[in-house]
Amino acid sequence: MKIITKDIKFLLFKARKIGINNKTDLFITFILLVGVFATLTNFLNWIFFHANWEVVSRNLNLYIIGTYPKALSWRPFLWISIIILLSFTTLLKKLNYIKKRFIYICWLLIIPLGIYLLAGGINIIPISTNFWGGLSLTLILTFISIIIALPIGILLALGRQSNLLIIKKITSLYIDCMRSVPLIAILFFGQLLTPLLLPVGMEINRVIRAIFSFSIFVSAYISEDIRGGLQSVPQNQIEAAKVLGLNKYQINKFIVLPQALIIAIPALTNQAIGLLQNTSLMAILGLVELLGISRSILANPQFIGSHLEVYVWLALIYWLVCTIIALLAKKIERHFSKSLNFQGDL
Amino acid sequence: MRFTKSYIIQYLFLLIIILFLILIINNVHFNLIRTGLGFDFAWLFRPASFSLAEHILPYSPSNSFAWALLVGWTNSLRVIFVALIFSTIIGISAGILGKSHNYILKFISRLYILIIRQTPLLLQLLFWYFVGFLSIRNPVNIIVPIINISNQGINIFGYILTPEFSSLIIGLSVFTGAYIAEIVRGGLNSVPKGQWEAYKSLGISDSIGLKDIIIPQALPAILPGLTSQYLNLAKNSTLAIAVGYADIYAVSDTVINQTGKSIEGFILLLIGFLFINLIISNIMEFFNRNILKNKA
Repeated sequence: MKIITKDIKFLLFKARKIGINNKTDLFITFILLVGVFATLTNFLNWIFFHANWEVVSRNLNLYIIGTYPKALSWRPFLWISIIILLSFTTLLKKLNYIKKRFIYICWLLIIPLGIYLLAGGINIIPISTNFWGGLSLTLILTFISIIIALPIGILLALGRQSNLLIIKKITSLYIDCMRSVPLIAILFFGQLLTPLLLPVGMEINRVIRAIFSFSIFVSAYISEDIRGGLQSVPQNQIEAAKVLGLNKYQINKFIVLPQALIIAIPALTNQAIGLLQNTSLMAILGLVELLGISRSILANPQFIGSHLEVYVWLALIYWLVCTIIALLAKKIERHFSKSLNFQGDL
Repeated sequence: MRFTKSYIIQYLFLLIIILFLILIINNVHFNLIRTGLGFDFAWLFRPASFSLAEHILPYSPSNSFAWALLVGWTNSLRVIFVALIFSTIIGISAGILGKSHNYILKFISRLYILIIRQTPLLLQLLFWYFVGFLSIRNPVNIIVPIINISNQGINIFGYILTPEFSSLIIGLSVFTGAYIAEIVRGGLNSVPKGQWEAYKSLGISDSIGLKDIIIPQALPAILPGLTSQYLNLAKNSTLAIAVGYADIYAVSDTVINQTGKSIEGFILLLIGFLFINLIISNIMEFFNRNILKNKA
């Protein structure tokens, strides 16, 4: 009898540790456990026994490269495998300083390499952007738009912070307008109205127009994130730089911007992830990126009624890519924030 | 000397912007003449001659384009306000559950935020529409005479919500709810730990403690984030076109396709959106001011 009460007391102690204090808690926990368990078993049951994964397995190529010519499909595949390889080396390996430098240079080269492999050109057959699609198109849209939007965003943030009145007003107007308009309106503008803005006879293809729209949209959001970073750089840093005799340009370049950018990394990561998700809007406006190609696969009468399989599969891909981006950003942030220490010491 | 230099830079910048605008306007002017489209708003009063599946204002295809756009605008407003209420409820509950002492509740809240925030909204909307509603084979009765869910939509007391509207509401609320939950969690974390311990040691129950002590202190940290999430919700509601709900963007799209007046249609879309933004930010400003006043 004594042992049993001891056991019960021990169990109660354990229960309290995981957050069960009284009978109501126990009851709620029990119901939740049953619910979670039932949902999980149902879901796993569906995944392994009821779902018809043919719609995924038979179109695997389409999801990744879209309608890219079969004979040349090694090019997007090569690009994506290089990205995956690079992500894993960055995430898993502990690297010394020189290797880190090397990896950052590799990341910068990814975009030109992607354009070269997908578009072709010197030594390899050129392929029109009309044939681009799937995950490779999603990734290249995201990467190029971010790399264009980042410098524009920095300039806009500096413009909004500057004490030149006209520049301040114009940049503020641009940022506020962009931030109050839905993205799909900007994309619509890019696809349907830019041809009207261009001189006669000049034409830009749809992928570049999409990149243009994404860049002008995201740059406004990026500039606000960077402005947050700029504001959190302590004022005495700027004063110290002035005392040392640096001019305005030098202060921004060497003192303020490096710190502001490091502070803004988490917010910028969120923008990158948001942009990657938002490239799916191009499916509405007729590009066959990851979601667009899935919509055309689902329109195929052969695969009618397999929406759930396709959506679960797409959610998994998007989730994985977003998570990898978040992890990479965390790694980069940790690397840089070591050099960032506001507290003075002797 | 320094003054003149900065003035030169500013006016040069202004000059470049103005030249750029003139160039663009010139191009547009030329292109409009070339394609024979012209720039006017007279077409607004011609009959629209397309039908809209859903409208709160009376509407028939013989009404004018202007009226069709207004109907689309009110449809947008309807979605935004219903989704706004539901997303707030979902977000606040998930945010508070994230702070619960029960590990399973915490886990569920975290899992919800993790899944929803890392997948595109458009994908979620398509999921709710095609999987959540259109593929229901047997109607589901939740409380037999009251709520009935089928592939025809949701039927509450004989009031029918179409599958387009319902999936849009669910998708937007669940998506925005995850973001609001993060903001609420951040706000609750900003309340000093001593406050939590203080109400617990006074013997006040968790529900009253949250309602009267913690949340009032967390609100100033929560409200600004909440406003920006509501504005995001309004912007995201334009994805309605993907599930075929006639919101302001979908109607503008149809109007532009029918009339070919893309620039005018786009300008009207932006104006419509400006008003939606103004309404939301004014209401939030009102709340903000009142709550902060009560606190003081």
